[in-house]
Amino acid sequence: MKAFQQNLQKLEAADTQVLGVSMDSPFANKAFADQIGVTFPLLSDWGGDVTHRYGIYTDEYKAARRINFLIGKDGKILEEQLDREAIDPTKIVDACERKKLGR
Amino acid sequence: MMRKTVQRVLGLWLLTFAVVCPQLMAQAAKPNKAPVKLKVGDVAPDFKMQYFDGHDLKDVSLGQYRDKKNVVLAFYIFAFTGG
Repeated sequence: MKAFQQNLQKLEAADTQVLGVSMDSPFANKAFADQIGVTFPLLSDWGGDVTHRYGIYTDEYKAARRINFLIGKDGKILEEQLDREAIDPTKIVDACERKKLGR
Repeated sequence: MMRKTVQRVLGLWLLTFAVVCPQLMAQAAKPNKAPVKLKVGDVAPDFKMQYFDGHDLKDVSLGQYRDKKNVVLAFYIFAFTGG
């Protein structure tokens, strides 16, 4: 989440809203956001409904996998980053900036 | 004679380990590399979730960004963990 915070200005300039998601409560997520200095919303998927619908629940953690989705304005998925790859969001930041420039 | 048998059995064991071990190691190294059902180009399922802004619980849906903004959905495992 910190890596997205570091790139937040670039992403916002490229018309992109960042949303963190976990199965923690909204209050735990707020405390987590304050602790690590994240200013974008950390959404609470309490009960795991969305995590299951996105097909990324794993028994290993009894929670979601670490995954980033970039979703375009038309609601379609533009990029995916899975597990370890998801820690560095450069691919998503680049994709947003390319889109903004219309390339 | 006895020695030859021992050598053969030992050799067979070593061969078995040589075949089985790398497979076990490979499995251990990638616990969740399974592909994700949703692929690039698919429509992302809509959702409605809440976050706490310090005062109130706020609703957020994917639909509210339609035709306005791109959305990064960053799923993480638990609060207070790295990554």
